[in-house]
Amino acid sequence: MKQQPGVCTFCGTGCGHFMKVTGTAVERVFPSQNHPVSRGRLCVRGWNIHELLNTAQTINRPLIKKNGQFAEATYDEAIALLVDTLKALPTAAIGFLASPRSTNEEQFLLMKLARAVFKTNNISLASDAGHRGCLNVLSAGTGMAGMTGSLEEICKAEFLLVAGSDITKQNPIVGSEIHQAAQTGAKIVTIDSRRTQIAKLSNSFLQITPGALKLAVAGIAKCVVQDGLVDSDFVRTSTRGFEEFSSSLTQLPAQEITAKTGISSEEFKQVAHALARAKTAMAFFSSGISGLDEDTISYIFNLFAMTGNIGKEGCGVNPITGINNLQGGYDMGCAPDLLSGFQSLSDQAAVKKFNAAWGVELNITPGISVSELLAESAGQLKALVVIDHDEGLVRDVAALQKVDFVVYISTYKNKYMDYAHLVLPVARYIAEDGTFTNTDRRVQLSAKKLEPQNNVLPGWKLYARIADKAGSKWSYAGPADVMDEIARLTPTYAKLSHKKLAATFGGVQWPCDEKNPDGTRRLDIKAAGSSISFAKVTGTFTVPAAGKDFPYLLMIGKAQDFWHQNNLMRKTFIPMREYNATLLDYPGGYVEIAPDTAKALQVRNQWQVKVVSPYGEMLLAVKISDEVKPHAAYVPYFARDIIAKALTGHPEILKQGEDATIPIRIEKV
Amino acid sequence: MYLIKKTDILQIAKALSTEYQVYGPVIEPGSGQTFFEKVDDVSEINLSAPIPAAPPKHIVFPQADRILSYRYAGGNAPVEMKPDFKETPKALFGLRSCDLTGLQCLDRFFLGQEFVDEVYRSLRKKMFIVTNTCVTPFKYCFCVCTDSGPAAEEGYDLNLTDIGDNFLIEAGSAKGKALCEKLQLATAANKDLAEKNRLVDKSITLFESFSTESKAWVSRVMNRITTGFAKEEVWEYVGDQCFECGACSFVCPSCSCFNVVDTATGDCSCDRLRTWDSCSYEGYSRMAGGHNPRKPVEDRRNKRFFCKLSYSQSKKYLRPGCVGCGRCNWVCPGDIGMPNVVKYIRRETTSRDQL
Repeated sequence: MKQQPGVCTFCGTGCGHFMKVTGTAVERVFPSQNHPVSRGRLCVRGWNIHELLNTAQTINRPLIKKNGQFAEATYDEAIALLVDTLKALPTAAIGFLASPRSTNEEQFLLMKLARAVFKTNNISLASDAGHRGCLNVLSAGTGMAGMTGSLEEICKAEFLLVAGSDITKQNPIVGSEIHQAAQTGAKIVTIDSRRTQIAKLSNSFLQITPGALKLAVAGIAKCVVQDGLVDSDFVRTSTRGFEEFSSSLTQLPAQEITAKTGISSEEFKQVAHALARAKTAMAFFSSGISGLDEDTISYIFNLFAMTGNIGKEGCGVNPITGINNLQGGYDMGCAPDLLSGFQSLSDQAAVKKFNAAWGVELNITPGISVSELLAESAGQLKALVVIDHDEGLVRDVAALQKVDFVVYISTYKNKYMDYAHLVLPVARYIAEDGTFTNTDRRVQLSAKKLEPQNNVLPGWKLYARIADKAGSKWSYAGPADVMDEIARLTPTYAKLSHKKLAATFGGVQWPCDEKNPDGTRRLDIKAAGSSISFAKVTGTFTVPAAGKDFPYLLMIGKAQDFWHQNNLMRKTFIPMREYNATLLDYPGGYVEIAPDTAKALQVRNQWQVKVVSPYGEMLLAVKISDEVKPHAAYVPYFARDIIAKALTGHPEILKQGEDATIPIRIEKV
Repeated sequence: MYLIKKTDILQIAKALSTEYQVYGPVIEPGSGQTFFEKVDDVSEINLSAPIPAAPPKHIVFPQADRILSYRYAGGNAPVEMKPDFKETPKALFGLRSCDLTGLQCLDRFFLGQEFVDEVYRSLRKKMFIVTNTCVTPFKYCFCVCTDSGPAAEEGYDLNLTDIGDNFLIEAGSAKGKALCEKLQLATAANKDLAEKNRLVDKSITLFESFSTESKAWVSRVMNRITTGFAKEEVWEYVGDQCFECGACSFVCPSCSCFNVVDTATGDCSCDRLRTWDSCSYEGYSRMAGGHNPRKPVEDRRNKRFFCKLSYSQSKKYLRPGCVGCGRCNWVCPGDIGMPNVVKYIRRETTSRDQL
């Protein structure tokens, strides 16, 4: 029997699959029927992961740039160059950009390398905004810095809210669970500006004005209070801070909510009553680079807290990670101010524990995230170590070119290499043991299935050799040893080990500790005897308004044809064809407008138009679709290059990512 | 007709393994999932394993298969081309009748038409087929609705039926008969055949209670699809639920669509790969120049069901394209496996409830 169980590593769902491996190649994949999350399903990406794993577009040798050209080097030469360069710099001038694709063991060692060896806290994940916001809200509100519900319990929810997420495209199997819950009687409500697939599958779709998501959630919450639908028993016994939140809602005038969101009070009422009727409810929103802002998440959290839908079976506030190990990245402390397990650098006891374990004196001043360092005009950043990265390159190119020494560490070739001075290969994830933590805190072991090609090192070994060269002796025999160290230093991972994970099918959800040795499916406030704190909200809602000069509201989002810059998709055949189909039709990007808008502008499909905003302008082809409302327009994220160029000089807009809503006018060319 | 003691059944597989690569149902221990795989030792085979998660299609039609490699150094250099497929004798031991029917559909597509597919033929040649009667159905089965089970009727070399202490063995070919003679198997009596028939009849009655996930009135819906009486709104209802993952085609024993890609392997060399494809994908029907006759997802979805259920398509397979294995229901992230779609069409399901 040569079918080996494994974990799909595209998105944060963490689906189970089987791989048939022959020699150095993956012959085929097949979904795992009894896997607790995916139960026999995979999406277009997952079904074709062997195409990526078999690609010839891998980095096979260390490369050092000399006179603008890469020359092959040995690991010894490359590591010496890296260590010598970094050691010669002040620690504040060094940055580490961790990857949400790396295993937990790799993330943890990179974090250790940055803090303990190179003495810098400038380490971050690319998606610092989105997922961190979720974790901040959930950690402050419940004490659990991760999804409070469980994917396995979606089938037990009676009400499912999907807030601003194209979930059937981004995390298809989570979308599938939501849909299948609805097929057996649960109610789905989707709030979005665009009519996505999940909107079509919903029992109620609130098609809001772009940029009005937060206000729409507040609108539902206001209805809950006004109509006396608050779960007062739950609020009294299990929560703190309700009064403050509810009084902030009463100040919101109902007419204004309707005017700014484009949703009638009757619709809000229906949703509020359906939510209150349901015994169990879950909320879903995307997290990561395109996630919601902290304030919007706070409103969602509070709405579910006041209706008694947190910390119980079939309930939960559930951020859905876009990339497979984004949650693991935060769990491993890849953030300027965090150690593993969301322990803060300002927590003296935690720091003491790490100091003792590592034999170092950690710097406790939080570092600066790489995206902030790159955005700084002063040019403090002199050396940047980037791991397996495919986001935001366009935005950062100019800043990146100013950095003296860029190191790129990855399995696959990508455009980031063009800006690197040193490139180091690491092995495919299936060539070494490693764990990944999916969006519902499920830690899964992906066992080694084949030998690395071209004698490329696995990530943990590369980091150990770098540490060794820099004078720190690390003595791990393998990734299992690293996990043991993670368990010793991380309360939420305390009772995890490769041995335990290998003996379970489908992984273990953290917290996995003395009290919960088999893991924790979801937050259980009754069992924990804990309570929930309502999140602080700002109470301010700036909804961009269209005006006379700029009558349309432009939103930026993801689509089936875009998946994380498509760098991985481009190395496959079937997913590349699928993801590039729209790109082929619209090579220069498109702006999606409603049929009525097209009529008013007198344009047809694929005609060029000029999109003019207060910040800049861009030329795009027209795509007519009834998925957007009149007065709204949509540009897919894959046209980010074009968007970034149009918005150069306005980083404050770019930084908002998918939350950016820009008033525009459209001119026929 | 022959008899063999239940405990001795793998002797047949053992005998086959001297001449053939033996494939059979194997249970993966960690997950309990059944695969139909090549075995190193026949003792891995488990004839009482549930229906395999994947059909044996990959044996004759791999998910990704190098069919050719070529090298062209440019200029006047000759193109060196090397077809890459070979014949290996294979024995499929313990095939379910739905999967045998699927194989027959593939045969008619790849071999039974004007153009004969050489790659498929080389993989399909020299095959010894041993089927295994389903004396109990499984949760997703509906072969009784598609006339493809629970017992195989033709196309096998040997057919096995578990009749208690013994397996009844029916030879369906001269080479099947020769093997039984060579192994000096005992001859079965008429009562053994009667027992098999009783068990098959019983199996059919068990569908009502066992196969709770699937009931499909296939003949009725074939009629509706062929005569154009399937409502447009039903196709939209179905299309909205399509996640465009391709799984239904990949697990279908009779789906035969493929994609061909050339991939550079360095040094002026290229591999030509044939990979599974699916009509649920937008790129599948997209033409050069960007025109797509089946762009909306519901158009792509009804393509699948026309292919499986319309009369004109069925003429090509000499039967419905669906073999009733139920795997598409199992793997679908939407809720549009074959039995469900049959139900939607029959009941004209078009909309979902409001709040």
